[in-house]
Amino acid sequence: MYDDDRDALAAEYVLGTLSPDERDQAEAMLAIDPGFAEIVRVWERRLGELNVMVEAVEPPPDVWDKIRTEIGGDAPRSAIEPESSLPVEPAPQTAPDAAAEETPDMTPEVKSEPDLSSAPMLTLDDLAPPRDLHAPQDLDGPRDLDGPQDLDGPQHLDEPQDLDGPQDLDESSPVAALASSLLPPDGEPASQIPAAPDAAVSVTPRAKVERSADIVYLARDARRWRGYTAAIGAIAALLAIYIGIEQFAPALNPLGRMSQPVVASRTQPPGSRLVAVLQQEPTAPAFLLTVDPQNRTLTVRTVTTSAGADRSYELWLISSKYTSPRSLGLVGGEQFTTRPIPADFDAETLRTASYAVSLEPAGGSPKGVPTGPILFTGKMVESLPGSPS
Amino acid sequence: MLMQTELVWLLGAVAKRDEAAFERLYEATRAKLYGVLLRILGRPALAEEVMQETYLKVWTMADQFDPAIASPITWMVAMARNRAIDIVRKRGDLSIEDEPEALEVASEAPPPLARREMTEELKRLLSCLGKLDPEKQRIVLLAYYSGWSRDQLAQKLDIPVNTIKTWLRRSLLEIRECMGN
Repeated sequence: MYDDDRDALAAEYVLGTLSPDERDQAEAMLAIDPGFAEIVRVWERRLGELNVMVEAVEPPPDVWDKIRTEIGGDAPRSAIEPESSLPVEPAPQTAPDAAAEETPDMTPEVKSEPDLSSAPMLTLDDLAPPRDLHAPQDLDGPRDLDGPQDLDGPQHLDEPQDLDGPQDLDESSPVAALASSLLPPDGEPASQIPAAPDAAVSVTPRAKVERSADIVYLARDARRWRGYTAAIGAIAALLAIYIGIEQFAPALNPLGRMSQPVVASRTQPPGSRLVAVLQQEPTAPAFLLTVDPQNRTLTVRTVTTSAGADRSYELWLISSKYTSPRSLGLVGGEQFTTRPIPADFDAETLRTASYAVSLEPAGGSPKGVPTGPILFTGKMVESLPGSPS
Repeated sequence: MLMQTELVWLLGAVAKRDEAAFERLYEATRAKLYGVLLRILGRPALAEEVMQETYLKVWTMADQFDPAIASPITWMVAMARNRAIDIVRKRGDLSIEDEPEALEVASEAPPPLARREMTEELKRLLSCLGKLDPEKQRIVLLAYYSGWSRDQLAQKLDIPVNTIKTWLRRSLLEIRECMGN
């Protein structure tokens, strides 16, 4: 079940149908969960073939000029920036204001693929055995930079022809036809839509603001608690805390199954925001913890199974400012709980603290410190803004 | 498109900061990426911006490309699409009226597909897609090509969003089963 949830999350991440909050969550998982990252790569490969059916469109020539300028030199700035082991949303984009403004000629040249016309075409009813084996090879030829795209050149022509013949085409043809029917000719977006630098400029900053989340992850530090793991038993050994410090949008929806609350405040400028994931094993998150530093509320969303009638989960904040863990209260009793953050925790403490969940007797630890097994703990590690994802 | 093997080679060279190879890679892939981006973003200016971001990312991450798990073009398109989706999601879904007309569910004459572009991998994927109900094929393809959110799919196809959600999940898992691995 969890595998399906993870797979579906990864698949929809690749497909692009997740909500913004779900995307944030998927990206946080990407950052810390190699298993999830692998699933995403598999889906990119599975679905990526669909790109073949998108018609190529020539970008304006100045795009390359800008790229070349950016990478100029042997040590491009972007290459030496920290980052970027995290395949996640980087923080603020440095990019595009300037770029957008510097682009007076927004109208791309829209060409159909230059040698498409000379290539054998498939009609939609005839998607049968592919390949033009005789298209010219230009692999060694000099590149004319302004010339026709190689995109249309031969592809896989050197591969053995082992077409299976029609049996799968019976199925694929109609789909290909459908796909094609959903793909209006590529000239249209460019030619019908007036170049809209203003719109782009006005949109981009919003996109950047929205992306100002610092993705953070909790280094796994569960090892020292390994002795306790036997006690986890019924909890299925999979528990994750998902911690987001953000101004709003506490409704991170890990599995895509709960109804997604409307986040009306999405258009307001977001404040500082940290997203972190702690998990012991690659799996779906068990708790989502969202901290809103401004309103000083803490929201916990429970995904995992309950601790049982005679047990409770208790959330702890562990900071060098305090000699012992400080309780943030019981979690997991209800699917969705919001409560005020105790006044003595400042924003910096919330940012830098470790968080942990312990399994306690029903009603919580009688001693004010963890008495049961601590299932997870970790230290936040902040990732640095990196190149765009 | 260049042969996959050459694109792999170019990426390897790019990983070593070979600017000439980078330029060749750009030439060989720019129109495909731009086509993908333009379809999702609609606005040329935005698509150009994402082109720059994507290629800069390719420049910095080329050493992480693994030909064993991805083809170069698929890898690069995935990167570009991902960024484009970020932008369209995080700026908030545009109302339908704001969207490029080209994204209408159209009945335009579909562009012909060059025979040579039908790779084995694509045939396999299409074969699996073909096993889905037509409506489900449609939402998967529209999501991929147009970058539509669930809400947009629901609006455009006049299907309740919860149904879209269920269908997407189910369809993707069925595709997984069908394609194996």
